[in-house]
Amino acid sequence: MALYDSKHWLLSHIRNSFISSDDTGISEVVMGGENVLQTISTSKYDTYPGIEDNEEEEELAESLDIHTEFGVRRQRSHTAVQLERLQRNMMKSANVRHVKWEITPVSLTDEEKAELFPKKDISHQKKNYVSELSKLLKACPYLPINPFREYSKYDGNAQLGEATRKYSMFITMLNLERRNYPMQVSIIATAKVHDLIGLVCWKCTIEYPDCTLKDSVDCYALYIAEDDGEIDFDFPCLDSRETVAKFGFGFLAIVERDSKFAPSTSNHSPTSQEGNSVLSENVNTKAQQQLEGELNKLLAIEAPLYQLYHVNILNKVRAKIEIHLGISGQKIELDPVVKQRSSSTFPWTKQKPATYDMDCVVACDLTETKSNNRAVLRLVYDSTALSSSIGDSAPSQQGTAVWSNFKHHDFEAEQKVAEDIVQKINNILELRCSVRRQEYISLRERKSHRRRSFHLGPR
Amino acid sequence: MVDNTLTEKVLLATGGYDHTIKLWHANTGVCNRSLTHLDSQVNALEITPDRQLLAAAGFQHIRMYDLNSSNPNPILNYEGISKNITGVGFHEDGKWMFTCGEDCSARVWDLRSRNLQCQRIFQTTAPITSICLHPNQGELILGDQSGLLHLWDLKTDHNEQLIPEVDASIQCVAIDSSANYVASVNNKGNCYLWSYNGNGTRLSPEHKINAHRKYALHCKFSPDSTLLVTTSADQSALIWKTSDFSLKQELKDQRQRWVWDTAFSNDSEHLLTASSDGMARLWNIESDNIEREYEGHQKSLTALAFCDPYS
Repeated sequence: MALYDSKHWLLSHIRNSFISSDDTGISEVVMGGENVLQTISTSKYDTYPGIEDNEEEEELAESLDIHTEFGVRRQRSHTAVQLERLQRNMMKSANVRHVKWEITPVSLTDEEKAELFPKKDISHQKKNYVSELSKLLKACPYLPINPFREYSKYDGNAQLGEATRKYSMFITMLNLERRNYPMQVSIIATAKVHDLIGLVCWKCTIEYPDCTLKDSVDCYALYIAEDDGEIDFDFPCLDSRETVAKFGFGFLAIVERDSKFAPSTSNHSPTSQEGNSVLSENVNTKAQQQLEGELNKLLAIEAPLYQLYHVNILNKVRAKIEIHLGISGQKIELDPVVKQRSSSTFPWTKQKPATYDMDCVVACDLTETKSNNRAVLRLVYDSTALSSSIGDSAPSQQGTAVWSNFKHHDFEAEQKVAEDIVQKINNILELRCSVRRQEYISLRERKSHRRRSFHLGPR
Repeated sequence: MVDNTLTEKVLLATGGYDHTIKLWHANTGVCNRSLTHLDSQVNALEITPDRQLLAAAGFQHIRMYDLNSSNPNPILNYEGISKNITGVGFHEDGKWMFTCGEDCSARVWDLRSRNLQCQRIFQTTAPITSICLHPNQGELILGDQSGLLHLWDLKTDHNEQLIPEVDASIQCVAIDSSANYVASVNNKGNCYLWSYNGNGTRLSPEHKINAHRKYALHCKFSPDSTLLVTTSADQSALIWKTSDFSLKQELKDQRQRWVWDTAFSNDSEHLLTASSDGMARLWNIESDNIEREYEGHQKSLTALAFCDPYS
């Protein structure tokens, strides 16, 4: 029995804990050479098995109290593996009743034999040739042929004693609420990626009968996914000719091939304003529906990334000035486009460069959609908390938000771009959930309750 | 709608070289359970008459699986035999089990656990390849590799030998349900038929069919005794009429390999086959169409058991 007041046990435990938990192996090198256990004097009452087995190298590193199940330190020997298998089989066979062949000690007399093995009279047998199977077959004479049936044989769950791989598979063909839950797929390790796709489709047809799939495995591809279902489009899809054992990813996503997953290409480059606004045209409508969820998620995640938009700012006299609107997770920058010849010499049309901290920004909405495919959006910010553009940062009066403190800018841009900007900013604001924004929203609500018909203040 | 209890009454099990036994929904072709059959191929499968257990004959063991649970492991293991067990079957009331094997013996096992009164053994000089029970429940018919057909009367312990063809190993024996005919096939592809006469006591040669050009593997009568199926290494299953021993149908498919085992539906309209290509097939005998395919095994199929109960 191991007791904490036993020096030997403690020493051995600490020693082995170090050795078994140190992946670098240095602890083993340092401690392997000397055996402290031997140096400690032992009284005759101190019996601990660790001491006797010192001679053997194997025993040195093995504590009686640490059982490394999966060979943390070194590969288990072939014998150990075999022993474990034997033990497992023993456990299994413990539930099996074994009947050994034995001959009856006493031989049967002829009468006994005749009694035990009577011959049945079969001359007047009534027979019934009704088949339940035929009944069942007649009940569904035209069983639709499942194009993926041939892949069902790769199912790892149905195999015993074969090496298998387990994957959590996100199925992007399913509707939104079910798509986020991965399907557990087990496949024999020697199968190809192609077969894995087929198996997933086969399981889909069984588990989600309402999900319509294309008839061929070639219509689908597997991508690496995160555990939350986000698909990693940075990597190409898995080569369908490779064996599955080659890939060690636990989470995969099955994706219909022809959709090409446009967001992966269009959302990345921060300078492409036009391309960004539109999903590539090659996305067909069905795929677009399917991807909606993914897309929104992607946008939300990428929202804090810096992006530059080309827009016109509308000042008080509704004069347009071209500016660059730079949006990142931290701030919004307004930069007038510098032109060689200024289009206007009027001072009020000049736009100063400005930077708004994201904490000051409280809202961003589309206000107007024009017929010429352009839209106006309004950015509302808390002027009292402005830091960089005004210079002196007035201490924000927490809790006493005044309507007049909120100022706004109006921008005009192409409709798609405008929508993108609004979504991006709102995504960022949602992520940050600042106090000012909450104040603004509550203030706005109160205001709209008070004067339903008027909307004079910045909204 | 298909009745669920009905689906569960029709039992289909297949086994082979991949150390698993699979249970299928016979009408949909979907595998609903896999059972482990460790360390051995499956030589023969049989469902007990009460439909509770599945017996699998393998190397040195007969394992029994519970059909009504989800336990993938056997619950009973009959052992103590030195070689492969090649055939297994049951008394119609489940009182005893009979087996034959490559240890040149046929055995009767008492299935009652404490009382072993019925234990019997029959020994010959060649490995026994096939066994079947006379419908009168009192005689066993055995075929061995030396080409002998043995009739073992359990009541009197008397036995009789028949030699259909010298230097040919008998691969399978069969008897029809009304005990009119006995059939055997051998490794030359020939099928021999005997008929019972003299009040059903004596077997006399009836017919010889040059059924296959290659090694024959299996033969079986249909439940209504009108048809006989023989299968072979020539990748086909042939259906013969017992009325005139003419060929009725040839069941062949491009993908099908050696056909090792078969089972008729109770109305003798369909045939199930187990083949080396790892697939079991359900054939419509009249039209020779494959109506269902049971796919899922990784290796050859050598045995199937089918239970098509009539309620």
